Amino acid sequence: MSPVNARPGMGLLTDLALRDLWHDRKLSLCIVASLVAVIAPLLLLFGLKYGVVSQLRDALLKDSYTLEVRMLGNGQLSQAWLNELAAQPGAAFVVPLTRSLNTQADLVWDSQRFVANAEMIPSAVGDPLLGTVPPPTQANQVVLSASAAQKLGVQKGSTFKLVVMRQLSGQHERGQLEVEVIGILPPEAFSRPAALVHLDLLLAMEDFRDGFRVPMLGLETGTLRPDTPRQYARARLYAKDLDQVSVLADWLSARQIESSTKLREIESVKAINRVLGLIFAVIAWTAAIGCAASLMGAFLANIERKRRDLALLQLLGFRRSAMGCYIMLQALLLTALAFALGYGLYAVGSWIFNQSLAVSLSDTAFVCRLEPVHLALALGSTLALAALVAALGSWRALQIQPAETLRDV
Amino acid sequence: MTTRAAPLLEIRDLAIHRGQWHIQLPELHLAKGELKAITGASGCGKSTLLELIGLVLKPEQLGCYRLGQQDIGQWLQADDQARLADTRAQQLGFVLQSGGLLPFLSVQQNIQLPRRMLGLPLHSDAVAQAVDCLGLKPLLHQQPSQLSIGERQRVAFVRAIAHEPALLLADEPTAALDPPQARRLLELMIELVQGLNMAALLVSHDWALVQDCGLSRLAAQTTAGGSCFVPC
Repeated sequence: MSPVNARPGMGLLTDLALRDLWHDRKLSLCIVASLVAVIAPLLLLFGLKYGVVSQLRDALLKDSYTLEVRMLGNGQLSQAWLNELAAQPGAAFVVPLTRSLNTQADLVWDSQRFVANAEMIPSAVGDPLLGTVPPPTQANQVVLSASAAQKLGVQKGSTFKLVVMRQLSGQHERGQLEVEVIGILPPEAFSRPAALVHLDLLLAMEDFRDGFRVPMLGLETGTLRPDTPRQYARARLYAKDLDQVSVLADWLSARQIESSTKLREIESVKAINRVLGLIFAVIAWTAAIGCAASLMGAFLANIERKRRDLALLQLLGFRRSAMGCYIMLQALLLTALAFALGYGLYAVGSWIFNQSLAVSLSDTAFVCRLEPVHLALALGSTLALAALVAALGSWRALQIQPAETLRDV
Repeated sequence: MTTRAAPLLEIRDLAIHRGQWHIQLPELHLAKGELKAITGASGCGKSTLLELIGLVLKPEQLGCYRLGQQDIGQWLQADDQARLADTRAQQLGFVLQSGGLLPFLSVQQNIQLPRRMLGLPLHSDAVAQAVDCLGLKPLLHQQPSQLSIGERQRVAFVRAIAHEPALLLADEPTAALDPPQARRLLELMIELVQGLNMAALLVSHDWALVQDCGLSRLAAQTTAGGSCFVPC
């Protein structure tokens, strides 16, 4: 009577579980089909939620235009005032602007390829317009908008002339500076021809137009700029998030500065977001409950049907824990197969969505998509649910003494 | 008792109620190589008794249950299902009324299952011999559903002795067979059980056959309220 370890190994349990499923393959397939019927639409739903709702919403919410607070008119803002503005908790990015007439210049490659009156936009580290493009750090560096770069026919690393005109003592003067293209914005970031420049360059252009002497632009004419603290006309201002847009607008308004924001658009985006969020939540919960019910129905029916075999295995000396493993193993195998098939259907569905609906979107956008981490989560939670349902079912089934089911075996 | 070797199986004061029916076994001793038949009319509780002895039913009353050196009674009292399952796997072999083969395993896989469970080598001379004797060789790769009832019971018998258990429990192993076949199977079973030095309890309602084969009996004495199984 040596104490032999009577516990069957996982290998034997898996082998038996697989043979059992294969022997009853029609019924196994019915169970799998009932699970696929819930898993595939649920994956598509979450794919759409992530794709359409999250992705597009995030795009709207993070869109630099949406977060911009445009100050109107030309004020007299000191550096200290601007520092105070930048210190506001809701302010994500602040850079001073010169008077609006002075924020234009000509970009010239040669007599054929030039851009007249391109917008000069001051930029710095953290500029939402830049995205991943590095900011200009010197006066002779520029980042071009895609349309400006295309008109000039330049690429990153090219140099061209930036030309500013003024009238001084009845004479037309032409200031110019050789600048290097250190980056080009993607087309969707900024549609008009423009150059993002270092603030020093913008200030030099303003000084130049005000008739001061600006050697940077290649001319020694004009008077010296008096050594008075500089006043700025406006600032480029971006809020950290949607809720901060109105806070910043109110802050400006309290200082008699009018501003224009995309508040109305923001409100409608938020409303759509709320409605879509609710719709998706309700559908997702309904589907998830349906999935749980489907799992429960399938596995409890399976256990009920297998009761005789389970009693037989117990009679042969399989412990209850081993029987529980056996039942859970079958549930997990069926669920994994159902998930694989469901994923296949989801892949087809999302491909159709993306092919037929994504034409209007840019390259990076998608209608329906799940990241690997989402799939892993979905698989994990489905398996966990299956294991839970099977554990409950097997616990119930194994409470019954094997003798009671053996008589009619 | 002191002069005799300790019996392989020793049970005293085993009882259970099935509804209003009281089933009782005052005493049972079984030595190695010994076979006993449990006889009685239909419905008197023979199968229930076999299930109690087979550790798949918890008795309401139990004086003593020893198998080999082991006190199984304490595990029954404590409802220690894990130990009882291990005991079933190692020490007991069952033949159910209609065979009780797993439908998803072939004949050979069914026969090998008890040995696989215990991690024993799949081949055993005793099994090979039994397969030969019972004429099961051509059936080894068939599914249970393809077999006749008689064939199923022969397979179930081989499966029950495959791991060479101490005690074989068979519930009407010959009931579904015609008399000559039943007799042949029973004789073969007796021969194999004695050859392997196992003990066996066979439930049977055919006590003429049992007597012909020279088995001692544990017969149900039926009263108004139940059955009491006593040697005769």
